[in-house]
Amino acid sequence: MLIAITAGIASVLPIVTGENPYVIGVMISVLMMAALSSAWNILGGYAGQYSFGHAAYFGAGAYTTMILISKFNFNPLVSIVAGIIAACIIALITGSIVFRLRGHYFGLASIAVAEIVRLSALNFDFTGGAQGILLSDVSLWGLDLNSKNPFYYGMLLVLVVTLGITLYLRTSKTGFYLQAIREDQDAAASLGINLSFYKNKALLISAALTSVLGSLYAVYIRFIDTSAVLDLRLSIEIILTAIIGGVGTLWGPVLGAVLLVPLAELLRSNVIGDALVKHGIVSETSGLGVFLKENLAHAHVLVYGIITVLCILYLPKGILGLFRRAK
Amino acid sequence: MFFLQSLLSGILTGGVYALAGIGMSLVFGVMNISNFAHGDLMMLGMYLAYFSFTLLHIDPYLSLLLIIPTAFLFGCIIEKVFIHRIINHPHQNQILLTIGLGLIMSNSALLCFTSDPKILTTSYSSSAVHIFGGISLSVPLIVSFLITCGITGILYVFLSKTTTGLALWATSQNREAAQLMGINVAKMSAIAFGLGTALAATAGALIAPTYYIHPMAGHTFLLKAFTICVLGGLGSVIGAGVGGVIIGVVESMSSTYLSSDWKDVVVFIIFLAVLLLRPQGLFGKKGEQ
Repeated sequence: MLIAITAGIASVLPIVTGENPYVIGVMISVLMMAALSSAWNILGGYAGQYSFGHAAYFGAGAYTTMILISKFNFNPLVSIVAGIIAACIIALITGSIVFRLRGHYFGLASIAVAEIVRLSALNFDFTGGAQGILLSDVSLWGLDLNSKNPFYYGMLLVLVVTLGITLYLRTSKTGFYLQAIREDQDAAASLGINLSFYKNKALLISAALTSVLGSLYAVYIRFIDTSAVLDLRLSIEIILTAIIGGVGTLWGPVLGAVLLVPLAELLRSNVIGDALVKHGIVSETSGLGVFLKENLAHAHVLVYGIITVLCILYLPKGILGLFRRAK
Repeated sequence: MFFLQSLLSGILTGGVYALAGIGMSLVFGVMNISNFAHGDLMMLGMYLAYFSFTLLHIDPYLSLLLIIPTAFLFGCIIEKVFIHRIINHPHQNQILLTIGLGLIMSNSALLCFTSDPKILTTSYSSSAVHIFGGISLSVPLIVSFLITCGITGILYVFLSKTTTGLALWATSQNREAAQLMGINVAKMSAIAFGLGTALAATAGALIAPTYYIHPMAGHTFLLKAFTICVLGGLGSVIGAGVGGVIIGVVESMSSTYLSSDWKDVVVFIIFLAVLLLRPQGLFGKKGEQ
């Protein structure tokens, strides 16, 4: 119910804010991160399998789509489906390796798989190597893909689907099995739950949704390279968003994205630095002013780091965790 | 000839990797924490060596006398302020906390030192010795390797002969039992993290004369250090030493016979293969994974 209301509000937002491309751009980023983090949450939050390599699925979707559209002139929708297939293949390989491991080993192995994907994309020719892939023109059913609106609604749709799946999982047999695996893997196995089947199921759902977002992102930006879509930093941002909002909750990842993405955007676009200067708090010509102007734009990852540390120390269950009764 | 050349230079580089791996393994063994800030601590070691060379004009190898105590103290402080509060938390929280600390370190370095790579050029940086006719070995790598051997030896004696070392060993075997025997495990954790940090910084300083110094350099080394630890068995110091040399040789061999672009991929494939076939590592105990 809440999902429908939020989706309704979100779908009229572009009309309210007008056609300001900057604002819509930020909102697309918020929706994308919310959906990415929610998709991660299905595996990390409900099944308790913290994947530190989700960028691999995002990148798989992005690269497959870009290669098919730019080199073979595929229909974008077909290439998104192809992206899902590519991500699922990687997910199955990953799953067969990493789900036999626990704790530290699981996290490490998921990073190793993602790094192999990243380095392969960087070194193969058909992925454009370090130069990445640029898309000059794309069309679908006469939609204006130069405008941002189709992507806004595309991201929103994926977010709603992801939240819907999460909601369904919470009350379905699979969902209960996943939570049982999260709470105590051995107890779950002794009750006859097929651990690797359900873990892989959660991973496949999560990877497929992540790859769709990767495809959308690629067509939206029209340029991808390994540092944009396959970096470890992206995997960490996805987890961090979920952690700040609340892992294993329906709305936690969305809340995290609503808070974090605009913050990163403010730092990146130097709004804070400019505001400090404009209000006379810091003089523009002073050493500090110059330093802030030049460097604050790069500081958003630093701020992410600080937030991560504070969050783990003081809010390990996230903001929504504050409101849930301790079990 | 090519084979011998890449084998020897692999062993030399591997020695320095081993030092980073031993530091990480020590922290894992005593505290049961995978330290994702390890690579960034190494990066800080590189910068320490760079600045003590350019600003204080101290030879990078001599500056170790300065870097080791500084890094040890830094590590103890980090343990006391951050790490010890999450020692009983789930693994993923520990991983995220150390990732956060690493991000803070690398991005502070980025703000302070900019993203331009720095090169530490000493008078002997590019000199090499030639043995058996055609094989040339870089002098800085040889010196680094010898220092690594020395430090590893000292560490081994410290861990197996001194009271503190044995207490560390006991803590890594069984934290609760060690505490019951009157060992101050909180202090042991701080010492272990301090030692781990000192070893990471030393490895960074040793590799500084032959490598680009860059705020994001830690990333590559972090994953290498993990591979080394897993190969040797998480928590096994001897294993990490052997693992380091193996990874050094694998890297150097795959650059020679495959291509230097793919050497990291080979390392990760080995990493996954070890996790699949022998997750306890070459020297680890079974049943830990």
